[in-house]
Amino acid sequence: MSEIALPVQQAAELRAQLTREDSGLVAKLSGTADLRVTDSVEAILTRVHQKALELGIPEVQMDLRELEFMNSSCFKSFVSWISDVSDLTAGQYRIRFLSNPSILWQRRSLHALSCFAAELVTIEAGN
Amino acid sequence: MPEQRAAQDLGFCELSFERKPELVSIVRRFVSDFYDRTLCDPDATSRVALATHELLENAVKYSRDGRAKVRIEVSGRGGRVRVRIRTKNRGRPEDAAHIQRTIDEMMSMDANVYYLSLMRKNASRTDGSGLGLARIHAEAEMDMSVACGKNGTITVSAETEVAMPQRKEGAA
Repeated sequence: MSEIALPVQQAAELRAQLTREDSGLVAKLSGTADLRVTDSVEAILTRVHQKALELGIPEVQMDLRELEFMNSSCFKSFVSWISDVSDLTAGQYRIRFLSNPSILWQRRSLHALSCFAAELVTIEAGN
Repeated sequence: MPEQRAAQDLGFCELSFERKPELVSIVRRFVSDFYDRTLCDPDATSRVALATHELLENAVKYSRDGRAKVRIEVSGRGGRVRVRIRTKNRGRPEDAAHIQRTIDEMMSMDANVYYLSLMRKNASRTDGSGLGLARIHAEAEMDMSVACGKNGTITVSAETEVAMPQRKEGAA
């Protein structure tokens, strides 16, 4: 496992980590994704996408189990990211969301993302 | 004739503040506790807290003087609880017109179909998400309306109904 640098400062409201693992790339977001960190979320997802293409990995795991809330601006960054992956003609990878069943907004929002790109997105309820 | 019952106030709160984005998340946590106590339904609490956050963020972001108000009313009638969230800010008339057009479009089709179509349409948009209202309608399952007052006050309302919480025997 090796950590990959992200182009954002770690802040109290949102913490992010990107690692290279045997299974592929693992990104983890914790805290609150709201108006204050919209640009950071966009920058993080752009880096994840660049790295996934550079490494040619088959799957990115996006761990949101400690993400308390996500506003619509940050949610839209996920929509844009998935749309970019969907538009790829080569190097397309799958996205697996790790969710927390006790954080109830995740069920609806991640379901919406899986409907947006059913062939790319899977959701796994984590512990 | 069905019996007409007066609506029973189960709680309300009103908050006003200036442009400070960090306050929106604080308010969401506060109102989550408020909804939790009044609705006793974790799923409904999560839905209306999400809607409160989205409405409030919009009210703060698009306020001309940086000020915004949110008022939440919870009332019960005939086994149902109605939650109404209203935000007020000083906006531009074109903002109200834009919100009205979005609501009209949203109401003309299935909430989830509209939400997905908007996600596709806005995926490459760079100025805001354009998804907030559709998210409230589809994910929070709330109906919305907008009104523009003479003094430029824009009021956006979202409403939903949930089942009346059942008190456990012996509970205070």
